[in-house]
Amino acid sequence: MTLAPWKSAANALLEANLQLTRGSFSLDVRFVLAPGEVLALLGPNGSGKSTVLDLLAGLTVPDTGTVTIDGAVLTAPGRFVPPEKRAIGLLGQEPLLFPHLSARANVAFALRVGAPRLNAAEARAEADRWLDRVGLSGFGGSLPGALSGGQQQRVALARALAAGPRVLLLDEPMAALDAETAPFMRQLIREQLAETGTSAIIVTHDIVDAVVLAHRVAVLHDGSLIDEGTTAAVLAAPRNPFVAALAGVNLVVGTVQNGAIVAPDGRTFWVRPADARDLTPVPPAPAHLANMTGLSATQAVGSANSPAPAAAVFRPASVVVQTEQPRHASPRNVWSARVTGIEPGSGGVRLRTSGEPEIIAELTPAAVADLGLQLGSTVWLSVKATEVSAYRR
Amino acid sequence: MIPRLLYLPASIGLALLVLPLAGLLLRVDWLALPALLLSPEALQPLGLSLATASVSTVFCLLLGVPLAVVIARSRPRGAGLLRALVTVPLVLPPLVGGIALLSLLGRGGVLGDTLELAGLRIPFTTAAVVIAQTFVALPFLVIAVEGALRTAGIRYERVAATLGAGRGTVFLRITLPLVGPGLLAGTVLSFARALGEFGATALFAGNQAGVTRTMPLAIYTAFNGSGVTTDQAVALSLLLIAVAVIILVLVGTRRASVLS
Repeated sequence: MTLAPWKSAANALLEANLQLTRGSFSLDVRFVLAPGEVLALLGPNGSGKSTVLDLLAGLTVPDTGTVTIDGAVLTAPGRFVPPEKRAIGLLGQEPLLFPHLSARANVAFALRVGAPRLNAAEARAEADRWLDRVGLSGFGGSLPGALSGGQQQRVALARALAAGPRVLLLDEPMAALDAETAPFMRQLIREQLAETGTSAIIVTHDIVDAVVLAHRVAVLHDGSLIDEGTTAAVLAAPRNPFVAALAGVNLVVGTVQNGAIVAPDGRTFWVRPADARDLTPVPPAPAHLANMTGLSATQAVGSANSPAPAAAVFRPASVVVQTEQPRHASPRNVWSARVTGIEPGSGGVRLRTSGEPEIIAELTPAAVADLGLQLGSTVWLSVKATEVSAYRR
Repeated sequence: MIPRLLYLPASIGLALLVLPLAGLLLRVDWLALPALLLSPEALQPLGLSLATASVSTVFCLLLGVPLAVVIARSRPRGAGLLRALVTVPLVLPPLVGGIALLSLLGRGGVLGDTLELAGLRIPFTTAAVVIAQTFVALPFLVIAVEGALRTAGIRYERVAATLGAGRGTVFLRITLPLVGPGLLAGTVLSFARALGEFGATALFAGNQAGVTRTMPLAIYTAFNGSGVTTDQAVALSLLLIAVAVIILVLVGTRRASVLS
């Protein structure tokens, strides 16, 4: 996919230029979204992320600015299309399923008011197909109160996508889920966005959301976009403390080979056994889903055989630094690199080391002195495979 | 973990509410009751009361629900003002309400004279009964529904809008069902209030048998009237209590079945 440049694009699906002042907070952002693209909007609490989504959805009116989709003006001076006519969906932290309607009726509601408008019988049948897609076949008759939080959020995803939005806004959709449910939901969102070809903007302060879901990242700070680019590029060179804190992890974006992740420079990262299982190629999508994305069945199979993109994530404190090649029995990732930077870090000294991407190790000042490390020193780095988590992209 | 001291006032309070009704039951001449209740003097006011209170309740719903929506979705300052205006009839003695209605719609009243020119005379008609009942019952419905609307919030409505639902659809399919329990409670309250309405009706609609003599007025007439025993008043009161209990039971079971 050709990704749109930051501020303008000939083929942009959505273009936004928004200004809003509320008390001491002021927001001023410009960005575009390409067709089929998923953009992650990263930022600390209070940076204005949710406000941006409300402005796009038409739930808040900006002081000045414009929003266009496919060239159609939604927001402009003297023009404001109401939320129900925008075809911009919203999935928040809370599922907000209509409590008096069953899971099926919740999804059918979206189908009956969306475009194309279905009649009651068609909507019920189509709603059941949507529940099937989010793994909830058989739950159609359940009222929201009888479903778990994770199940409710899956129904909410089905409902949001069933409305056929041109852009889906995701406002920290995993934030209210527990640690076991969140990864499943994240994968489900990834799959469903891809299968339906839905363009999306996800607001998050979890780096994993950006790594797994987004093609591109924009960083919002105090109401302004201060950085933008691919996830790896933005995190590799943090431009503000928030991004640096996010980048407090090592992020290796590469491809899957034999259950491990291969970095752009060829280093292989073995990962936790549980995550390695998830990296094995996905079975090809059923023909009817492949057709929905505009791919033929053979193309879909072909893409499953080519190296799948994935990311490895591990903490700098998990990186062991030595000056001689270590010999270990346990499964480890071991490589040599040059020291390219020595900086104070939150937990001691941060050691930047060469490679594509660069890897950061964190160690105590005493250890740095003991090892006699300087800029340009050659070191051996190792990370236990069990310390490396992995995500499909 | 209730402080023991509270039991005494609690018991007295309960006794104050229950004992008078028990006293009424003891006072009833059960042998004479069937004849008293089946007499036209009892059935006519009962029919008129049920009819006018039902019509009033429908008006309360038609006017009160939209009013509640407007108040609940207004900015805080405007909502506070509207809420105060709606609450005034609630705290006003109904007799004053009756005088106020006469001042507006009666002879010499601002609207009354205009209507009279158009050939419409409202005071001392069945229409006046309905207007008086709606006047006193409407605040109950508005307050109940408005509270439910504010509790429900606008989050579900916003979600429905982002799914593409227009305002009318959202109102009928999301907002109204969400405030269902509050709406039911408000309807019951306003029907009960309309059924028991006396003061405003007496002044604004009068006490004409078959036209404006509702149950409360019939009870008053029976109690004060010459040549009629208070037994009639007691019997009519019993009838009104029975109607109220039946409504509460019906609503209670429906509510339970909705919740289960």
